[in-house]
Amino acid sequence: MSDPNSSSPHDPPFDPPFYVGYLPVPAPLRRFLGIAAPLAAGLVIIAALAASVTQRDPGPARWNDGVAQQFRGHLIRWPYPILLVSDDSAKHEASMYLLVEMGKHGAERPKWSRDGVAVFASGWKLDRDGRQMIELEPASDALREDTSIPRLAVSSPVQIGTVTLKGEIVDSKCYLGAMKPGEGKTHKACATLCIKGGIPPVLVTRDASGRLDHILLCSETGEALGSEIWPFIADPVAITGELEVWHGLKRLRVSAGGIHSL
Amino acid sequence: MSVGYSAVQWSHHKRVYDAIAAGAAAGYIAAFLAIGKVLWHGQHAISDEILVMRALGSCAIVLLHVILCIGPLARLDARFLPVLYNRRHLGVMTFLIALSHAALAIGYYHGFGVVNPAYSLLTSSASINSFASFPFEWLGLGALLIMFLMASTSHDFWLRNLSSRTWKRLHMLVYVAYALLIGHVALGALQTNRGDLAPILMGLGLLLVCGLHLAAARREHAIDRGQNPATSNSETWLDAGPVASIPKSRARSVCAPGGERIAVFRHAGGVSAVTNTCAHQGGPLSEGRVIDGCITCPWHGWQYKPGDGCSPPPFQEKIATYQIRIVQGRAEVNTRPLPPGTPVEPARLGESDLAGAYGEGLHV
Repeated sequence: MSDPNSSSPHDPPFDPPFYVGYLPVPAPLRRFLGIAAPLAAGLVIIAALAASVTQRDPGPARWNDGVAQQFRGHLIRWPYPILLVSDDSAKHEASMYLLVEMGKHGAERPKWSRDGVAVFASGWKLDRDGRQMIELEPASDALREDTSIPRLAVSSPVQIGTVTLKGEIVDSKCYLGAMKPGEGKTHKACATLCIKGGIPPVLVTRDASGRLDHILLCSETGEALGSEIWPFIADPVAITGELEVWHGLKRLRVSAGGIHSL
Repeated sequence: MSVGYSAVQWSHHKRVYDAIAAGAAAGYIAAFLAIGKVLWHGQHAISDEILVMRALGSCAIVLLHVILCIGPLARLDARFLPVLYNRRHLGVMTFLIALSHAALAIGYYHGFGVVNPAYSLLTSSASINSFASFPFEWLGLGALLIMFLMASTSHDFWLRNLSSRTWKRLHMLVYVAYALLIGHVALGALQTNRGDLAPILMGLGLLLVCGLHLAAARREHAIDRGQNPATSNSETWLDAGPVASIPKSRARSVCAPGGERIAVFRHAGGVSAVTNTCAHQGGPLSEGRVIDGCITCPWHGWQYKPGDGCSPPPFQEKIATYQIRIVQGRAEVNTRPLPPGTPVEPARLGESDLAGAYGEGLHV
């Protein structure tokens, strides 16, 4: 086929170049595209930069998912499985580690029939703002009784009183570092799945100065929360209940009907 | 145009086009990841999976904006027609990137749990009681299904077998997909990454798409109004203006009372009228040219003979033709379309008909 863009004395005064995919690109168009294509590519990169800077800080959470660590302590339920680990100092203080399994599953191994049993645990540590968690290794002996561990003298939970707190219900595993960010609307489905799977639910609150706090949620009678909490996950809520503190870990015994969407 | 089917009819232009598009998409994703890694690192690092998921999702949105802008841009400035030529490849690429985003999101957010990821996708965050809590995943899934439908029927095989009209209607669903994606982002990412910049970026994108479409529509309207003075001298014959004002080997479009656009081509010493709609993807033939004696569509180069609306052998496409005559130097078109492929003798031009036509006589 002939080149439709060859000039002729009979052409109209303005004869824009005409592009046909199977013919050579007219020189004026080639020049235009030579400018437009890099310009468009540049705009695409600028769009990428602009879109990327809209992302927010996911928070100072860590998931040490390299080599598994070993822990020794005592198992309790409050009401979720927790490992109390002595700091080996003369103060007899203890750290609280929430225990979970791999994936979106809470730690529910059959041998945890009684509180206070001394155990050896192996897994990966997650932590954020002083809150800690252990994701247990899948091996059956990753959590086993260890009678060599000395009995730990523990204090009792301190009752703070009835409070109403505002914040967002998240699953503790993602929030403590398994997924970053582990909060917000886009994480709602994941948080719901995690909590349904037994991961302890946590209320994240923010005070006037922006400081975050994390409160473990359980029922009024101290049992693990069930389906009553699902509709409120990852939404702004106000929760009323009895606040307690035990070895630095806060727990809210949620009053019946005490959760309200904001 | 083709007489058979192949997966892709590769040409040098398509390879260059695809290389540039793929390079831009890869550049976008790399830039997004790099900035995300630089801004948030150490304890504050965003999970790699989420960073990649966001890069893929936002890349697909940006590409969809580009796709939606190409059409009106090409109508407003013909120099953008080369970008339109291979737009289908860009669409398929966008679908694949969106699919990767969805696969990662479903696997990461809905996997590893106590229920099947597909079941979780449809139920985990389902709360239709409030606008803000509406499951944005459903909107994204709906958009992805439309994009799948479009990508899987993008081949000319489907164009021919579904018919041009059905295919066109199907692919107009891209605007539904766009609306769903706007909702997906507004009710999802924008609620998680609350700030001023993200909504502004989305607003600018929406404004760009709407603005270009409105500008192109306004131009079309102006052409219809300006080139179709209500001076049809009977109910069936429509005044198409002076023949001399139609550039050589090009066309003018006129709008019949029923809204059908007709392309009046000046060629080979005569004028012919055919439908303005290409049988391929509905491209505006009046913006094409006569090349090698054939009307050539500006979108993909499909060709038709002006005298009968048939594609040159071995091709078999046909378009509607119209009877045409010249009265005192003005072209008049019979507004009743003839069946596709009906031969119509071109209206022959006299010397006087071309008086003032850029100084030429009966040249072609």
